[in-house]
Amino acid sequence: MASSDMKPKSISHAKKWSEEIENLYRFQQAGYRDEIEYKQVKQVSMVDRWPETGYVKKLQRKDNTFYYYNKQRECDDKEVHKVKIYAY
Amino acid sequence: MVAEKETLSLNKCPDKMPKRTKLLAQQPLPAHQPHPLVSEGFTVKAMMKNSVVRGPPAAGAFKERPTKPTVFRKFYERGDFPIALEHDSKGNKIAWKVEIEKLDFHHYLPLFFEGLCEMTFPYEFFARQGIHDMLEHGGSKILPVIPQLVIPIKINSGDGIDYGQQKRENIGDLIQETLEVLERRGGGDAFINIKYMVPTYESCLLN
Repeated sequence: MASSDMKPKSISHAKKWSEEIENLYRFQQAGYRDEIEYKQVKQVSMVDRWPETGYVKKLQRKDNTFYYYNKQRECDDKEVHKVKIYAY
Repeated sequence: MVAEKETLSLNKCPDKMPKRTKLLAQQPLPAHQPHPLVSEGFTVKAMMKNSVVRGPPAAGAFKERPTKPTVFRKFYERGDFPIALEHDSKGNKIAWKVEIEKLDFHHYLPLFFEGLCEMTFPYEFFARQGIHDMLEHGGSKILPVIPQLVIPIKINSGDGIDYGQQKRENIGDLIQETLEVLERRGGGDAFINIKYMVPTYESCLLN
């Protein structure tokens, strides 16, 4: 289970796509900073992922609705610079 | 044969006598041309000698037909669907109020397929994206529903509706892709169920 609230110390913007950026993009689409915040808010230890690619498959948003994501890449190159990377 | 007649000049004739025109022997009398009688085909009038049959009226096979409101639209407007429209940077996305894995597919999937007839936003978007999400994440819940899906798919495939979208060319292509997904994910009996209701469908798996 997630530990007590962890706040990020710094923030930067992604410059190049990677699998990590893809997953960050998906968390941020659902309204979270990243996987750490998701696990803190939802009090879960595991996140639903596509077994073939490892990308996030399903997230529950803060309003309790569900977002489903594709097996393949969703974050286009032109969206990459909008993805925020939080450092703790 | 008509003999040539001399024109009687006014000098010889009284003033009131009209001037006669010459009739030339070589010039035949104009034949009487009857007016053509336009008539409809397969009528007694059409059998008459000088009748000209009018061509058949246009059948309107390629005329765009407005779709009647679907049950899908009615359910959506009543708020019966567990979906909400979200706008993201790439356009639109569906947020599901209930997990797809917990949905009653027997109830929702045929309804969404029926909604493929819709051509206006947001109905057409929800129908298309909803089906996509349910087929992607439905797993074993899809197979038992296939027999219920084939009829709404068959009804939709008969129309020549243009369905220009981001990823799809027309409704025919979408339906073909959907049937292929059903065959791939639906298990061993999927193909035979689909073929029974859509005889023109060819397997994408079997040789």
